[in-house]
Amino acid sequence: MLKIILPTMMLVPLTWMSKPNMIWINTTTYSLLISLISLTYLNQLSDNSLNFSLTFFTDSLSAPLLVLTTWLLPLMLMASQFHLSKETLTRKKLYITMLILLQLFLIMTFSATELIMFYILFEATLVPTLVIITRWGNQTERLNAGLYFLFYTLVGSLPLLVALLYAQNSLGSLNFLMVQYWTQPLPNSWSNIFMWLACMMAFMVKMPLYGLHLWLPKAHVEAPIAGSMVLAAVLLKLGGYGMMRITTMLNPLTNFMAYPFMMLSLWGMIMTSSICLRQTDLKSLIAYSSVSHMALVIVAILIQSPWSYMGATALMIAHGLTSSMLFCLANSNYERTHSRTMILARGLQTLLPLMAAWWLLAGLTNLALPPTINLIGELFVVMATFSWSNITILLMGVNITITALYSLYMLISTQRGKYTDHIKNIKPSYTRENALMALHLLPLLLLSLNPKVVLGFIY
Amino acid sequence: MNLLTSFTITTLFMLIMPIILTCTPAYENKLYPQYVKTTVSYAFTISMIPMVMFIHSGQEAIISNWHWMTIQTLKLSLSFKLDYFSMIFVPVALFVTWSIMEFSMWYMHADPNINRFFKYLLMFLVTMMILVTANNLFQLFIGWEGVGIMSFLLIGWWYGRTDANTAALQAVLYNRIGDVGFIMAMAWFLLNTNAWDFQQIFMIEHKNLNIPLAGLLLAATGKSAQFGLHPWLPSAMEGPTPVSALLHSSTMVVAGVFLLVRFHPLMEHNKTIQTVTLCLGAMTTLFTAICALTQNDIKKIIAFSTSSQLGLMIVTIGINQPHLAFLHICTHAFFKAMLFLCSGSIIHSLNDEQDIRKMGGLFKSLPFTTTALIIGTLALTGMPFLTGFYSKDLIIETANTSYTNAWALLTTLIATSMTAAYSTRIVFFTLLGQPRYSPIITINENNQFLTNSVKRLLLGSIFAGFLISHNITPTTVPQMTMPCHLKMMALTVTILGFILALELNLAMQNLKFDYPLSTFKFSNQLGYFPTTLHRLAPMMGLSMSQKTASMLLDAIWLENVLPKSISYFQMKSSITVSNQKGLIKLYFLSFMITLILSLFMLNFHE
Repeated sequence: MLKIILPTMMLVPLTWMSKPNMIWINTTTYSLLISLISLTYLNQLSDNSLNFSLTFFTDSLSAPLLVLTTWLLPLMLMASQFHLSKETLTRKKLYITMLILLQLFLIMTFSATELIMFYILFEATLVPTLVIITRWGNQTERLNAGLYFLFYTLVGSLPLLVALLYAQNSLGSLNFLMVQYWTQPLPNSWSNIFMWLACMMAFMVKMPLYGLHLWLPKAHVEAPIAGSMVLAAVLLKLGGYGMMRITTMLNPLTNFMAYPFMMLSLWGMIMTSSICLRQTDLKSLIAYSSVSHMALVIVAILIQSPWSYMGATALMIAHGLTSSMLFCLANSNYERTHSRTMILARGLQTLLPLMAAWWLLAGLTNLALPPTINLIGELFVVMATFSWSNITILLMGVNITITALYSLYMLISTQRGKYTDHIKNIKPSYTRENALMALHLLPLLLLSLNPKVVLGFIY
Repeated sequence: MNLLTSFTITTLFMLIMPIILTCTPAYENKLYPQYVKTTVSYAFTISMIPMVMFIHSGQEAIISNWHWMTIQTLKLSLSFKLDYFSMIFVPVALFVTWSIMEFSMWYMHADPNINRFFKYLLMFLVTMMILVTANNLFQLFIGWEGVGIMSFLLIGWWYGRTDANTAALQAVLYNRIGDVGFIMAMAWFLLNTNAWDFQQIFMIEHKNLNIPLAGLLLAATGKSAQFGLHPWLPSAMEGPTPVSALLHSSTMVVAGVFLLVRFHPLMEHNKTIQTVTLCLGAMTTLFTAICALTQNDIKKIIAFSTSSQLGLMIVTIGINQPHLAFLHICTHAFFKAMLFLCSGSIIHSLNDEQDIRKMGGLFKSLPFTTTALIIGTLALTGMPFLTGFYSKDLIIETANTSYTNAWALLTTLIATSMTAAYSTRIVFFTLLGQPRYSPIITINENNQFLTNSVKRLLLGSIFAGFLISHNITPTTVPQMTMPCHLKMMALTVTILGFILALELNLAMQNLKFDYPLSTFKFSNQLGYFPTTLHRLAPMMGLSMSQKTASMLLDAIWLENVLPKSISYFQMKSSITVSNQKGLIKLYFLSFMITLILSLFMLNFHE
């Protein structure tokens, strides 16, 4: 594990010591190399996990997320080049350092063996994210967004700390590898119900669960591009990952505790996706679509069947890449029209045909076109919920339809139609941007060939 | 026998070559359309070999498997099923597409993105090939969705036009509703039979198959534009004419029927679903025929006639004759493609005029198109010994002699007669009488691309039905004997429709309605579907999402219940509890008092 943690740490001196004109190139190349090294973790040799040391391990659940994290850093660096071009050198370096710190924490979060360490790192990721949002956001609302982001996640996760301390006392260990053998079934009592809530709430807020999702659109909209990307792609998945890890401790209480949250998620996914239909703000639309997709993941994790776990894992990865790509596309629009409003960027297909192709592909993956892994994920989730209760197919069906609608609405309103006069003299798309989109899409396509890699530990 | 598989695979792989070529500079070449067209024609020729071998050797099916992955207990494989349906459909689709592509080289020659257009057409075809050769539900779903998305791209080809975009979105929306049914069926089969492979699904006995079959029926309803989910089909006419031709003949819309044909081993034992299918088909065929009667847009009339024929195919599935439905798919492809190409020729010649009221007398200026159009309409109505006859006549015969729902059968018969009526209307208004178009002469039908493609389809419209119907083995026992009047029924109602329509047109030509009748309005307004369903439902959905989801819940309740109320209470309580209240004057006053006091104290302390 150290072989990717140490290089990630060394990225910081690289940033600060690079020549001014080399900082982007150096960091991007170097982080891309790190992500290539981390690809080896996808090859899970043994049945259980790769244990590197007492503190770090990966298994087939965390490995894809880990690779996603490392894959995303070069992409974030590529994406933020333009909007930082006017900043001073020190600030650029500070920004890059924040991203590197975030990646460092995320890597350690995904590979921690100890729950307490997982918790600490889980909280530690808040710091760089908060700095990125509140310092480099574009409008004054960023402060409010930062406040919401911090308080929702903190308030959600503090009870978890208490619960973890209690569990440490009663179980004697919080090691992921041990806990699954040690854990006792939780009898149904009030205190255990609160235990369940304390353990799950932190992750549900992070996911986010419908009702506790208000921080997400705000944070996504106000964050600079790299912040939006990493939030959508990785930070939300921390919630899913944590839930999957911690439910092993909470059986059999999940069976009935899940009901209200499943209802909320099923209801919320329709609500949020119908909100998407009325968005005028491109980034907000993508943020709400994230909430809707994550609701599917929550449902899947709470069902706790092998199929649903596979679906949840696949969907997390697929959504990570897709939503990150959509944010990049939205940002490329924003850098040209200086507005997130969709109606101000109509008819872009005429002007930027290649970008339109990326938009099309991103939109299609977002609506889960077969045979992308988005479909595999959604299909498995739908199947698992169908077997849980047949009636849910109605809700799922409505959601599938609305998802298709807003994805195409987004596509049509930005790319199709006649272009407006004020965008006549926009810049053509850069190679950097096209490479960025290609690097998002490439893993999606490759994973479609062999989805097994991202199906988690029980395929 | 291995040759059979390899030839078919060759056919399929040949089609992918031009798509791969888009990554090379050849894509920029002016000859790319030519190249695509030639590839398709070669693919057609090659696909004939395995078809002939297949029919000759009388096999049932060849299945090739290539293991993809195993998930839990489910084995997913990339497998092709080459049975009668796929083996016969592939050449038919290739033949029709070949002609349509040649036609679009003429029709789209001025389009700057013609290369991309050809790529899309080819991808549309390829997804359809995936669909028909698939042997498991997942692979079928890939083709199924691919067809839907390609239709989105092609219908919205002229993306600058709002109507085209709306039509494209409509197509995806209605298809997506159908997809929900498909996904439900997939989930059910996985849950109950633990298989997505057709053979395994068919082998396992099940008592109650209503749920998955209803799902499949919903899927077919969406894709094949059956009643309720039909409005996207006429709207899809916003796309270029070659797209309409391809969409309506051999790809996309027949996919739904094809799905039901594939699943007939399950359907044939389920009476409930069969009845539903029958009634749905009958309703569609009648309703769309009624709509076609009063349309004035030539493409719309032909579109509605497709819808009506699709209804007829679904009726055929409902009376448990899947092979007849399949036969009708194949024969229909020829003459429907040709009708669209003819209308394209007319539209192009009249300078993009689609209204049949502004045509007329074209039989003198466009003799070749006239010939093709008349043969096409005759084939459509099922005139004896043209292509349509072999399937349509059989279907109506079988329907008449079966002892199922009499109302549905009667409805079908009325729709058949109406087919003749609206066909007459096309011929009457476009070809006969005096010219009503503008005198600027742009009429020209002498381009080779046009004549060759239409000629080829013309031959198909005359002979294909005979050839195919002689080589397809029935899956169920056909009715051998019937009374004379039942035998003649199809022909009688058709001729009746012709005569009635002709007489009415001649008699009413110079008359004018005082006011439109309510029946006329119903038909002309497409049964008030667009005015109600397309306004009310989106309006309700969108205002609900705005008012309930966005404003009420997200912006007000969720915001107020948690963050706002917490901060409010914090603020209030901190104000109440804290000692420091910002009363600066008072504080300074007390401070001064202390100061003065201390001064006094110090002063008097001596």
